[in-house]
Amino acid sequence: MMNKRGLLRSSIGAPYDESNDEAVAARVARGDTVALEALYDRYASTVLGISLKILGDRTAAEDVLQETFWRVWRSAASYQPQRGSFTGWLFRIARNLAIDGYRRTNARPQMMFDGDDADTTLDQIPDPDADVAEQTQALLKHRQVLTALASLPRAQRQVIEMAYFYGMTRQEIAETMGEALGTIHTRARLALQKLREELEREEFEG
Amino acid sequence: MDEHIEELLPFYALDALTDEERELVEAYLVSHPEARQQVEEMMSSASALPYGVSPVDPSPRAKQALMKRVAADADARARSSKREQTSLPRENRLMNLFPAFSLGVAVVAIVWVVMLNIQLSQLRNQVASLSNALVAQAISLEQINAKLPQTPSSAVVTISLRGTTSRPQAQGQLIVDPNSSSAVLVIAGLEPLESNRIYQAWLIRDNTPVSAGLLTVDANGQGVLLVNSETTIGSFSALGISIEPEGGSQQPTGDIVVLSDL
Repeated sequence: MMNKRGLLRSSIGAPYDESNDEAVAARVARGDTVALEALYDRYASTVLGISLKILGDRTAAEDVLQETFWRVWRSAASYQPQRGSFTGWLFRIARNLAIDGYRRTNARPQMMFDGDDADTTLDQIPDPDADVAEQTQALLKHRQVLTALASLPRAQRQVIEMAYFYGMTRQEIAETMGEALGTIHTRARLALQKLREELEREEFEG
Repeated sequence: MDEHIEELLPFYALDALTDEERELVEAYLVSHPEARQQVEEMMSSASALPYGVSPVDPSPRAKQALMKRVAADADARARSSKREQTSLPRENRLMNLFPAFSLGVAVVAIVWVVMLNIQLSQLRNQVASLSNALVAQAISLEQINAKLPQTPSSAVVTISLRGTTSRPQAQGQLIVDPNSSSAVLVIAGLEPLESNRIYQAWLIRDNTPVSAGLLTVDANGQGVLLVNSETTIGSFSALGISIEPEGGSQQPTGDIVVLSDL
């Protein structure tokens, strides 16, 4: 079993620093299965959370999870660190796959918040093999973002949720919310500005 | 500032634009650094949204299925890579044969060039030999010409000479003023003789041969002899050439190779 922290013993070469996602992704691009497993252990729960939120179905969400990391395995060479973080690339793959699945089933979007209170329920069954430190780190980030989101007016939160998690167009959001297009534009801009301020206050590190 | 495009910026950061809208924004960002700064800040906020979703631990089965699929793919890649590596030595062997083949071709070429040089050298020697012969004949002709002015040109005649049945290929000319005691004998078609034998010319009068001089021919069977006689050439009725021992004879003793009336 691999070392979860510090230097990771690669399946194809010398040890490397696993704390750098981009470096690990580069190892995956060279066919390092150990590196892929490291990324999976670190981000699978977040990817599954995104998929499950969008699809609302555990089986379908786990299919998206597997497909997401399969694409990482097959396409890691196409990832360009200078164009963005690895997590941004990874989550975009998961999000797009889940949105495709969502559009096929035409499921009704489920908002992150049904009320003004943050959803802090942690009802998942712990994975016995999951790394405790990484789980703690993921939960910390989750709480920070939830706190920041909780500071936004519900209407603003809904706009960015519909846009980001469900890939809805501006017109679709305006139609769904029964608001003018200009109102949607304003809400989206204000939501992102406010979210940034709150994340800085929470000392969030993406 | 384009207000319409500015309205699209938050949705660009949220990755929620159509392809056409995205291209429009990206073209706009190229020439509007202030807009680019805004988008970077909004993208920073949007990138945090995935963490707002409650993380869900996947079942161990999901990871096992993924890693099994990945391991199979890695094995396939390794086999493919190994096949490429095993096929490489075969290519290498072919590549190794190429220098050997090239060396062989080079050796054959060198030998061929050497042989050509040898043949060229032989040809040069032959040309040099012919040149020497020509020079010698030219010298002889000059000597002949030096004597010819002594005789009136109008009296000079050329008499053809023919080989006997034993030397049918032999032929020559005798350039002579019948009233003179000198003449020039030019002969061709006679084989070179061994060192202990020599051709000897005879002027014949009343069936009595008188030595007209010793004659040597070159490798091409050609020879020139300046004939001197105690009496006029016109007093002789025939000219003959015989093969005699080295130093000549008092009378013909060997094969007669040329015999012609004068």
